[in-house]
Amino acid sequence: MQHKQTMLKIGLYSSYVFVTLLFLFPLLWVLSLSFKTSQELYNVPPNLFPESLQFDNYKHVIENNNILSFLLNSLQIVSLTVILTLIIVLPAAFALSRYKFKLKGTLLLGIILTQMISAVVISIPLYRLFAEWGLLNNFFMMVIVYVAVVLPFSTWFLKGYFDTIPIELDEAATVDGCNKFQILTRILLPSSMPGIVSVTLLIAVQSWSQFVIPFILLDIQSSYPVSVGIVNLQSTQQAITTHYLAAGSVISILPVIVLFVLLQRFIVGALTTGAVKG
Amino acid sequence: MSFTDATLNADDYSYTLDSYKSLFTNPGFIQMLFVTGTFVFFSITLQMLFGFLIALIIDQGEKRNLRGTVFTRTAVLTAWAIPGVIIGIIWQMLYNETDAGIINYLLSLVGIGPIPFLSNPTSALIAVIFSNVWRGTAFSMILIYAGLKTLPADVLESAKIDGANAMQRGMKVILPMLTPMLLINLVIISIDTFNTFDMVMALTGGGPGQSTEVISLSIYNSIFNQFNLGQGAATSVVLLTINVVMTIVYILILGRGEKDAA
Repeated sequence: MQHKQTMLKIGLYSSYVFVTLLFLFPLLWVLSLSFKTSQELYNVPPNLFPESLQFDNYKHVIENNNILSFLLNSLQIVSLTVILTLIIVLPAAFALSRYKFKLKGTLLLGIILTQMISAVVISIPLYRLFAEWGLLNNFFMMVIVYVAVVLPFSTWFLKGYFDTIPIELDEAATVDGCNKFQILTRILLPSSMPGIVSVTLLIAVQSWSQFVIPFILLDIQSSYPVSVGIVNLQSTQQAITTHYLAAGSVISILPVIVLFVLLQRFIVGALTTGAVKG
Repeated sequence: MSFTDATLNADDYSYTLDSYKSLFTNPGFIQMLFVTGTFVFFSITLQMLFGFLIALIIDQGEKRNLRGTVFTRTAVLTAWAIPGVIIGIIWQMLYNETDAGIINYLLSLVGIGPIPFLSNPTSALIAVIFSNVWRGTAFSMILIYAGLKTLPADVLESAKIDGANAMQRGMKVILPMLTPMLLINLVIISIDTFNTFDMVMALTGGGPGQSTEVISLSIYNSIFNQFNLGQGAATSVVLLTINVVMTIVYILILGRGEKDAA
């Protein structure tokens, strides 16, 4: 029995090493490429650790390819999207979780329905509409589209989280003289912090990754977010400049990875408290 | 719009069925559906399988207080936080067919290769599927992991007392209890996979030829590369139909789940 347990532990540990390597190696390799010289890219055998750290690669993409301004654009889009979405979604999830009203089930299904439709499918009518109304390259209107895209799942997620907070708390608060607004701000919000942090993180990750929407709605290069900017970089660079492309990729994913690694435990926590019921 | 011959660069258009006619009679359309089907089928099967296995080993490790579970979990989740286009770019570097390609080098160490990953139609499709699985496993993993965490411990305990071995507990107790979660997971990732194109676009652009042109990418290419709005819209309607059918399946499962709970 003791022997069997030890074998099992060894098996588990080796599978951890394997899985971790499988998922981290591609990222480590790109990091390594981003510090190499162009000759070093073709070394046989390839070396994981660069002979010397070529910070010049980073300097090059920052100076010649506007990477920092793409990054800044992404940050602006993402933070505005998060704020606007939260303003809408907090009361919406509160109402869906705490009130009973006609057609609530239908409304919930309608919300999830919009989630299922591909962004590419929406892109054609959206482009036509925006072109007709002269709204192409309008930063604020584009953020509104982002908000529309992330709203459905945020509403569902947060409604699910609110559902896990006992309604007795609300009742006690009502007895103590709280109105509905105070219940939301003083009872639900503080006790839902993990849920709110996770939904914020999910919105941020999804808007950071968004590609089709900025691609069709923007055509001024200086206002591109990183996702569109990096594709432009890819299509203009030749094979020899892999190290520059790698440096650009590292810069574009670093912020979202740091944020995600720091905060992912909230997502896991929110999911395991049953916020998303089967 | 799918009933018109509109293009992105001309303003006037007329109503016609030609978009559909040319779409359905085009041999490329059948091939595109085949590529999409293969891509979706293998992506979701492998994502569910790996997601389940990783969730299981992490859950088992946590029950035994092993170290490294959080680290492993975070490593898998990280892939999920990266934008699709950048995942495509990263894997393009890894699959590189010159001396700079690390995967071919690693394969040569065990005597395989070199494989023309992105220039041969079959291996390109496999490469695209593999990268997509790498990206998507995290989502299945985290949902199944949450499912495992919320299983009632007393049911497992009593099965153990009744003398069920690990295999029996897995097949007859854990799996049935996870089924609703697995079904939801299946539908969500199917829809997501049908809608995926940013990663494929950055990795292969649909090539070589059209061997990796999945349906969403085909829409994107007809509109933005060929400026054929009618054709793109007609393909969009096909994708929209798929989306709607999947959603109906989802709603049916959800409805059944709620009845069970009541």
